[in-house]
Amino acid sequence: MTPADGLTALLLLAGGVFFFAGTVGLLRFPDVYTRLHALTKADNVGLGLMVAGLAVQAESWTVAGKLVLIWLLVLLAGASVAHLVAAAARRRGMAPWRR
Amino acid sequence: MTAYGIDRTPRPAAPFASRLWSGGLRAAQFSLLWWVLADGAVDSWPVAVPVVGLATLASLRLLPPVACSLWGIARFVPFFLWRSLAGGADVARRALHPRLPLSPRMYLYPWRLPPGLPRVFMANLISLLPGTLSTKVGTDGLLVHMLDGRKDFQGELEAVEQKVAALFGVSFFDNPQETVK
Repeated sequence: MTPADGLTALLLLAGGVFFFAGTVGLLRFPDVYTRLHALTKADNVGLGLMVAGLAVQAESWTVAGKLVLIWLLVLLAGASVAHLVAAAARRRGMAPWRR
Repeated sequence: MTAYGIDRTPRPAAPFASRLWSGGLRAAQFSLLWWVLADGAVDSWPVAVPVVGLATLASLRLLPPVACSLWGIARFVPFFLWRSLAGGADVARRALHPRLPLSPRMYLYPWRLPPGLPRVFMANLISLLPGTLSTKVGTDGLLVHMLDGRKDFQGELEAVEQKVAALFGVSFFDNPQETVK
């Protein structure tokens, strides 16, 4: 295993941990707002780490560029959709969960 | 009132020099995008040149020149990478913690940014930063859902707003009632 492969494995595993934590948050968190926090933030970092891990293996700059582009599009979509879902929940009068 | 504070009334065209500069910059960005998508295929230029041209024209028509410097972006990227990593780590810790440490609350953050793109950008940005989720882009403020309402988010949001203002090269407009509910 080359150092590049080791780095890729490490980044992919770390990304997987964030996806796992995001999913646990989606299941455990009490309301729509807190679940959106878990989805947007943990998945953004999880995908970012996976993209970084795969970019290490890319044969050319354009492939690495495509990976980064995918990440940016998911960031934009994730943040916008989280906002829209939260705004819709608020308009329907869903009160945020309180301890 | 306009949706998301975006002003859709016709505005005077930006000075020619600024349109030219921003057109050139955007054409360069679209060319880079084409190069990435076409896998650097050099023989694709008969398609690429008109497409980049049309994309630049459409972009200038839809979005007037934005004062967004490359230096500003270069300074913003490390901040964003680091803080969004912190955001993911924070929410992952809370999700995996046995006692589920959450004490959410809603918070109205009064705008200092001018309406338009900077506000939309900040609303999307804070959803990726630790503990904040934008819930409504209002005309007077940004309604933020916070994972941990006991922390002082006012200072943190002010710092983020400062970064966004620097990125877009805008200054805060004078808000006479800058009070927090």
